[in-house]
Amino acid sequence: MRKIVIGLEVHCEARSLSKVFSTGKNEYSLEPNSNLSVVDLGFPGIMPVINKEALRKALMMSLALNCEVPEKIIFDRKNYFYPDLPKGYQITQMHKPVGINGYLMINVDGVDKRVDIHDIHLEEDTASLDHFGNYSLIDYNRSGIPLMEVVTEPTMNSVNEALGFLEALRKVFLYCEVSEARSDKGQMRCDVNISLMEENAKEFGTKVEIKNINSFNNVKLALEYEIKRQTEILDNGGKIIQETRRFDVDSLTTISMRNKVEAVDYKYFIEPNIPAIKLDKAWIDEIKASIPKLQFERVNIYMKEYGLSRYDANILVKEKENALYFEKCLTYGINPKSVANWINGVIMGHLNKYELGIRDIYVNEKMLVDLIKAVEDSTISVKQGKEVLYKALTEELVPTEIIKQSNMRQITDDDELRTLVIEIINDNKPMVDKYKSGKNILDFFVGQMMKKTKGQANPSKASQMFKEELDKS
Amino acid sequence: MIEKEKLKSYASKLMFDMKDEEYETLQREFDVILKQMELISLIDGIKDVEPLTFPFELEEAKFREDEVKDVISVDEALFNVKDKLHNQVKVPKVVE
Amino acid sequence: MENIQMNIIDIQKKIKLGEVTSDSLFKDSLNKANKYQDKYNCFVTLINTKEQVNNPNSLLNGIPYALKDNISTKGILTTASSNILSDYVPVYDATIYKKLKDSGAVLMGKTVLDELAMGGTGTTGHTGMVKNPWNSECLIGGSSSGSAAAVALGIVPFAIGSDTGDSIRKPAAFGGVVGYKPTYGRVSRYGLFAFASSLDHLGCFARSVEDVAIVMDTIKGHDEKDMTSLPDESVVYLDSINNDIRGRKLFYIKEICDRKRYENINDEELHKTLDNFYSVIDKCKEMGFVVEEVSFDETLLNAIYPTYISISCAEATSNNANLTGILYGPRSDAKKVNDMMFDARTKGFSELIKRRFVLGSYILQKENQEKLFFNSGRIRRMIVDKFNDLFKEYDGLILPASGGIAPKAGSDDLDKLSKRYLLLENHLAIGNFGGFPSITIPSGLVNDMPVAINITGRVKEDVVVLNMAKKIEDVLGCKNMIARGDK
Repeated sequence: MRKIVIGLEVHCEARSLSKVFSTGKNEYSLEPNSNLSVVDLGFPGIMPVINKEALRKALMMSLALNCEVPEKIIFDRKNYFYPDLPKGYQITQMHKPVGINGYLMINVDGVDKRVDIHDIHLEEDTASLDHFGNYSLIDYNRSGIPLMEVVTEPTMNSVNEALGFLEALRKVFLYCEVSEARSDKGQMRCDVNISLMEENAKEFGTKVEIKNINSFNNVKLALEYEIKRQTEILDNGGKIIQETRRFDVDSLTTISMRNKVEAVDYKYFIEPNIPAIKLDKAWIDEIKASIPKLQFERVNIYMKEYGLSRYDANILVKEKENALYFEKCLTYGINPKSVANWINGVIMGHLNKYELGIRDIYVNEKMLVDLIKAVEDSTISVKQGKEVLYKALTEELVPTEIIKQSNMRQITDDDELRTLVIEIINDNKPMVDKYKSGKNILDFFVGQMMKKTKGQANPSKASQMFKEELDKS
Repeated sequence: MIEKEKLKSYASKLMFDMKDEEYETLQREFDVILKQMELISLIDGIKDVEPLTFPFELEEAKFREDEVKDVISVDEALFNVKDKLHNQVKVPKVVE
Repeated sequence: MENIQMNIIDIQKKIKLGEVTSDSLFKDSLNKANKYQDKYNCFVTLINTKEQVNNPNSLLNGIPYALKDNISTKGILTTASSNILSDYVPVYDATIYKKLKDSGAVLMGKTVLDELAMGGTGTTGHTGMVKNPWNSECLIGGSSSGSAAAVALGIVPFAIGSDTGDSIRKPAAFGGVVGYKPTYGRVSRYGLFAFASSLDHLGCFARSVEDVAIVMDTIKGHDEKDMTSLPDESVVYLDSINNDIRGRKLFYIKEICDRKRYENINDEELHKTLDNFYSVIDKCKEMGFVVEEVSFDETLLNAIYPTYISISCAEATSNNANLTGILYGPRSDAKKVNDMMFDARTKGFSELIKRRFVLGSYILQKENQEKLFFNSGRIRRMIVDKFNDLFKEYDGLILPASGGIAPKAGSDDLDKLSKRYLLLENHLAIGNFGGFPSITIPSGLVNDMPVAINITGRVKEDVVVLNMAKKIEDVLGCKNMIARGDK
């Protein structure tokens, strides 16, 4: 078996009002070339000025990914000619990025895995090109949008690990609220490199880079294809060529773009228009303190401290708001497992059905907890509880009010219940005979009870009593 | 001396070509400057010096607050463009 | 004397008294510009319609001036004297232009430079060479050629230039005018077409230090659009230029201007220029300056020129990568976008510029960076550190601005001169390496052509440099010189 070795470079646009080095608008617009300052167009004489908020977000990601932050902020120029690059160079970070030597803990199929981060840097996005028959059109709106690039070490050993990392990284972007991280809007794009390592080999195999893949599913398809391609070459005694390929969405294959011999020299050098600025320690501490507990840590707490299953914990942390909702519920003193069941059941069903976020619903944490308590102290049955919650969600009502107004209660009083049990037995003589002949039709009697009481009877108690009375007579 | 062909390829990476005789002038210029730089590399202690990239340290430099300002109109953005279509810059097909 | 040729304060007095109007000044200025255009070629563009913001509180209110044509002016052609920008009309204003506009100063023209400011002769602009107003057979030097010549000819009281190696201070010397390059960051570079960003400075030409101080008081200051611009300072230069200088200490460098070094060179102009310099030193001592000779590591001094070339060409190749014909500039009808960019750049740049770009990009190549680019940065630091050490003891460095008078056009150009008296011709770049404030003031005539001295001071102490220069100017008697043109 050969070992798969995967490294990723993930680009993600940062959310901000203005662009990373200009006061142009960081916003999607259907109107081409409408979000621009002269800086975004690279006119002669323009100069970059760092957007503090974009930098803060990049630093936050750096700290969230356990990276070392530099003492001073320095940017570099990456020089190359391309029609989407108005200045003829991109301002990026090569010498002293906002973060180096970090890691992100992920869990793949129940196994914890540490993915090492080589660096994270802040840079500017390019313009977008649209291609037509014999011409192309350039829209510069995207030019200058802050872009964070996370570069991993080649530490992932399966397609699942690569996808697990991407999902987990996306969650970090979302938890830290630095980006919407939507790949459908092109906000998250990635380059992958992959090599196969012979068993017992000491060195990595020759790596192939696949550029600019714009969805996680395509990452999966590209990796799978590439593993197959490389395996076949090696099985046939061939050699892998170090090269850059691209993923072709039509054929679902990877296609060679250029090989290493023609590698581009970007002639990096320090951007002379941005002075090296010392980072204020207090500011870094403030950013650090603002990082929320991340998904991986939360899952572990939910499992270890609250006794949830990984499955339930994973659902709860999928969105930070859901996790916060869950945690808020716990502050009202309630069994974490049952809260998790209620959220992951009825509430998630509702959110998915109507494509809502948990902050969109009327039922807040306190309301949910009060409802769960009503079920747990047997004021109402579980079935009733579910109906109440459903009604509260759809009609925007307070669950405890629904319980009160519809006189909802659960008949748990023994005498009251026994009277009803005897009545039902008397009204259904033929069925009693059937029971006596050995047919297990206890459920029929419980059903009659629920019908009679409009669901207010405690079903397990009723079942118990029917058995006693029927066996008695 | 640096070969002419190499200089030609450097020029083409910078997206231009030069007259033939200019490459010869350039060869001579390279010769002079590279000899001078060779002398520089022999200066005592040069290896221990951190290159200076800014004239002096500017401690007062600040980051910009995140504000949208000075957004120009589409007409201004495309004012000098020779060929445009649908408010975009039209260029011959970009081949990837 | 004609109104337009008076100094700024005197013009303002006349305006206040109603003896002259800004309209008539503008007209006089334009008339002169037109009169001299064919012969000296100062301008790329003349502004035929006067536009002025009235700002009665400013000393520049109503004063006509010229801008170097590498400064962005909204709605006004700005070519950087290059074919690749021959039809470029900016859609935004440089900060320096905005400040001058707000002060009430009146732009009358955009001046010729060496193409993209990358040259020191005044011969490489796309509209032709600029000639020296003192003798049209001579060069004015560059790259701020038209601005220097326009001030020397008395077309405007002041003009704006840019200085990356000596591009204000050298043509000022050859034109008999004052040229000032302030501390790096004192004047915002936003809107200055970048040549080498870490060396580029904006500054000005005038016919007296007092006028330079007035212009500086208007154009200096922090700019939120230029991260490298210095914070505002409370001092008004004009109010400080007459401060007492007694006890101020100046030094000159033995390895650059010791007469003995040049004993065997048969060059009358060189010796006369050195004589002029030492007579200035004597006068400085008489006035109360302490002037001392200092010895400086010659190996480092010899490294100034290659270091300057390496750093400036490297930065320039990147700074000018935006010139591709896509958003502005000429386009060919090539069928592929790369060919189109290739055509624009091949036709748009002169061969000299291209050679510099190739050199610059070679210096930046991965395998050469360490030895070429980084070593240049290291030399830059070694030189700057040494000068900062000297500035702990001295208030300023005083040297001849050049080893002679303006060279003749053609046979004996500046580049050749650079090789002959390497140190005397190239030391001004020290001011760019360290961002030191540096001023050239005329110090007399040699063979009927102007020569000048240069004073360079501590970073951020523009006020001290201007003060010392003003006091020296007072005793030299070379103030308000107007080139008398050809005999």
